[in-house]
Amino acid sequence: MELLLFILPVFFALSVLLVPKQGVRAYGIIGSLVVLGVVIACMMQYNNNGTMYLFMQKPWFYGITLSFGYDGISLLMLLLTAVLVPLILVANFRNELAENRLFTSMVFFMQLGLIGVFVSMDGLWFYIFWEITLIPIFLISWWFGAPERKAALMKFFIYTFVGSLAMLAALIGIKVNSPTFYIEDLRTVVFTGKTACWLALGFFLAFAIKIPVFPFHTWQPDTYTKSPMAGTMLLSGIMLKMALYGMIRWMLPLFPEAIPCLQYPIIILATVGVVYAAIIAIRQKDMKRVFAFASMSHVGLIAAAIMTCNFDALSGSMVQILNHGLVAVGLFLAVEIIERRAGTRNLDELGGFAKQAPKFAFWFAALAFASVSVPLTSGFIGEFLMLKGLVGFDMVVGIIAGTTLILGAVYTFRAYQLSMYGPVTRDHFADLHWSELLVLALIVIAVVIFGVYPAAITDFVNPSIKVVLETLSTPSGL
Amino acid sequence: MDALLIVFASGLISLFAAFAKKPWLVVSSAMAGLLAAIIVILNQLQTGKAFFDFLKYEGLLFDDLALVYSLAICVLALLIVGLGYERFKENPVHTGEYIGLLIFSTVGAMIMTAYTDMFMFFLGLEILSIPIYVMAGSNKTDIRSSEASLKYFLTGSFASGIFLFGLAWVYGATGTFRLWEIQAKIMEMESLSPILMIGVLLIMASFIFKIGAAPFHFWSPDVYDGAPHAVTGFMASVVKISAFYAFLKMFIVCFGFGELLGFWQNALVIMIIITMFVGNLSALRQVKFKRLLAYSSITHVGYTLLVFVSNSMGSVMELWFYMFAYGFSIVGVIGVGLAVNDQEDRIEAWRGLGKRNPFLAIVGIVSLLSLAGIPPTAGFFAKYIVFSSAWANASWLVIIALINSAISIYYYLKVIATIISPVESGQEKIKLSPLTIGVLTLALIGMLGFSVIVSWL
Repeated sequence: MELLLFILPVFFALSVLLVPKQGVRAYGIIGSLVVLGVVIACMMQYNNNGTMYLFMQKPWFYGITLSFGYDGISLLMLLLTAVLVPLILVANFRNELAENRLFTSMVFFMQLGLIGVFVSMDGLWFYIFWEITLIPIFLISWWFGAPERKAALMKFFIYTFVGSLAMLAALIGIKVNSPTFYIEDLRTVVFTGKTACWLALGFFLAFAIKIPVFPFHTWQPDTYTKSPMAGTMLLSGIMLKMALYGMIRWMLPLFPEAIPCLQYPIIILATVGVVYAAIIAIRQKDMKRVFAFASMSHVGLIAAAIMTCNFDALSGSMVQILNHGLVAVGLFLAVEIIERRAGTRNLDELGGFAKQAPKFAFWFAALAFASVSVPLTSGFIGEFLMLKGLVGFDMVVGIIAGTTLILGAVYTFRAYQLSMYGPVTRDHFADLHWSELLVLALIVIAVVIFGVYPAAITDFVNPSIKVVLETLSTPSGL
Repeated sequence: MDALLIVFASGLISLFAAFAKKPWLVVSSAMAGLLAAIIVILNQLQTGKAFFDFLKYEGLLFDDLALVYSLAICVLALLIVGLGYERFKENPVHTGEYIGLLIFSTVGAMIMTAYTDMFMFFLGLEILSIPIYVMAGSNKTDIRSSEASLKYFLTGSFASGIFLFGLAWVYGATGTFRLWEIQAKIMEMESLSPILMIGVLLIMASFIFKIGAAPFHFWSPDVYDGAPHAVTGFMASVVKISAFYAFLKMFIVCFGFGELLGFWQNALVIMIIITMFVGNLSALRQVKFKRLLAYSSITHVGYTLLVFVSNSMGSVMELWFYMFAYGFSIVGVIGVGLAVNDQEDRIEAWRGLGKRNPFLAIVGIVSLLSLAGIPPTAGFFAKYIVFSSAWANASWLVIIALINSAISIYYYLKVIATIISPVESGQEKIKLSPLTIGVLTLALIGMLGFSVIVSWL
């Protein structure tokens, strides 16, 4: 049954090309819901003790194995992917884009790549799927993005490709000492601290570019603003989570020897990024750019928390990964709603929509609260746990990272206030369409549920996190 | 031996079939011959028996490796003959010569995989090269084609001369032409004789010329650019495979041990680095498709030369994987270039291919991704195989190669971007003949299913 995770996206990606134009919307949504069903079925049958469930393990060639499986962490990422794809398709419902067959096909290919990343337990397969995700997102943005997108997208592609090559170099570097690419085989390889550092840096470069961690972020704002909404949602909602997942699954367990030398630099870079991006976000005029930098700020905090290798911080980061995926999709949808109706994203030219569209104002506000981690939203639980871990790691770093709560409130509510309140600037501003309402409401409800009952997530991932952390504390090979 | 004879016979038949002035007869006899050769090779690989076993000739030995390489050569030659047919048949009087020459050149390539004797190697090299000198000039109305032909002929014969000169020095040091006897003689030597070292260097230079690596690469952009598409494809795939294997075989068997190994490896490492950078940096600003292909192929030669550093008999198979995967990608892009059929051969002419012929666009994108080494295409697996085998001995060289892969993505991506850009006015749809579609489908299967095929072997 688990093989359906691969077969279904490919099937839908190819078959959607034959569906008549009127049916593409419905077909895409139904297809993505079927995939969601399979993921939920996988979650149901997974006995939650933190071990890896391998549904396929065979040797292949040249040390590559066909090892695919999942544990709690992978399943949570799979769930996020499977939930966000239908949400993104529904959010696109009113775009002409939604009835484009190529677009829907590319979304499914993207989903294939993402699922592959999360279930690959073989280093080279992880790399292969990691690269596969790059092609559909590039094509989506290239075909359907803003008019002056080309330079930004070339930069994006080359930037991420360079990072991936560093990862490939590191993978080849470990493989030389190991019989296969299977994750347990790779883990047993013991390095000296110095070699481990270099190899871990190879991985880190790939992840840092995708997350993006300061100073590897320069591709990000342009790419986010020039991509179509669905592209931005895929990028910030799921694709950068690949990198965070990669840190937990691959970088830390493979190179526990490198943690002492890399921990501080990475945490400091990430924390700098948190504050830096937040300050830039405050000064932006373009609403999409505000949320692009906001995304960078939030994710930087997650990266820092993961590097503490602290149990609470890791479990908080899993909550926040889920939360950020949902909220980012919601916020970019809100931006899209405003842009589509007002014709611009420039905050100076917006205002007064709250009077004309009260429903939109309410749900956007709810999302804004979720984004700044108000208690009773899942963001609060996540950030609280992560900051707890960071403060435990180093008081100063924790406090600096903690300013994200204040700065986050500033840029989010500034954007909200400038667009929704103030003098009315447009004669007409239609309220939410049912598809938009559905997406926003689902996201807010989910965020509140997880905020009130975070154990739903933490109970699910904690055993797996425990296993990962145990592998860190017992030096590999012993 | 069987396959060699079959291919040779089919070359003769297609030459005589040309009297009928029916291009389809020529191409079908040539393709039938190549197909028969492929079947015979596969059969021999499985059973280990050959029909003409009684024809023992010491200069040629078709062992498993030679057979596997001959297989790759025949498959790629088949694809390229199929691709080139569309263009060759425009001039029915000459179709027979063109295809016949390609087949004879293939015979030379097969000899170069199976030689056990320096003279046999030289014969193979000339049988391979001379038809291509002619083929490069086969586009008689185009002055650049004549230039390519003459340039290739002059520089090529110069390289052959250098090879013979080097061979003379090696003969002077060892007193034999047989590969295994040379090996035995060199192993017996107590210290390396300078005569031998000069010979090795000269032979290496001639090989470097043939495969088109820096600093002897200057002929290749002009020749690739001027020659007709199918010939360019043939040079980039079949000629490269055979020259590389002959190179590797000679240097592993004769010179691949002891002090001598370190001696030529050091020289080669420097050339690898120069080759990769020269190819890549020159490719960045090319606007003509075949020139871009020439420079990108220089870079690929640089990557492939890494197998010489990994220093084991096992690297023979790695070379095979790489060249085979590369050959498929070349067939793919050459097919697209042929179908677009722009007089000036500009990359710009590829604009809007996605709308003008979606199938062609998919083939083009997949082949370019494969050349760039992006998974899940053949190019990625081939690159991984070669790089990981070289890592243990020269990890820093692999890192330089990866940096070069990063540079190269820029120009491949630019072509891909051209393909997926919207159509401009005045561009019509492109129609493909069934034969071209068949060949390109095979190339597509080869590129996407490469990993599956390899895992069966």
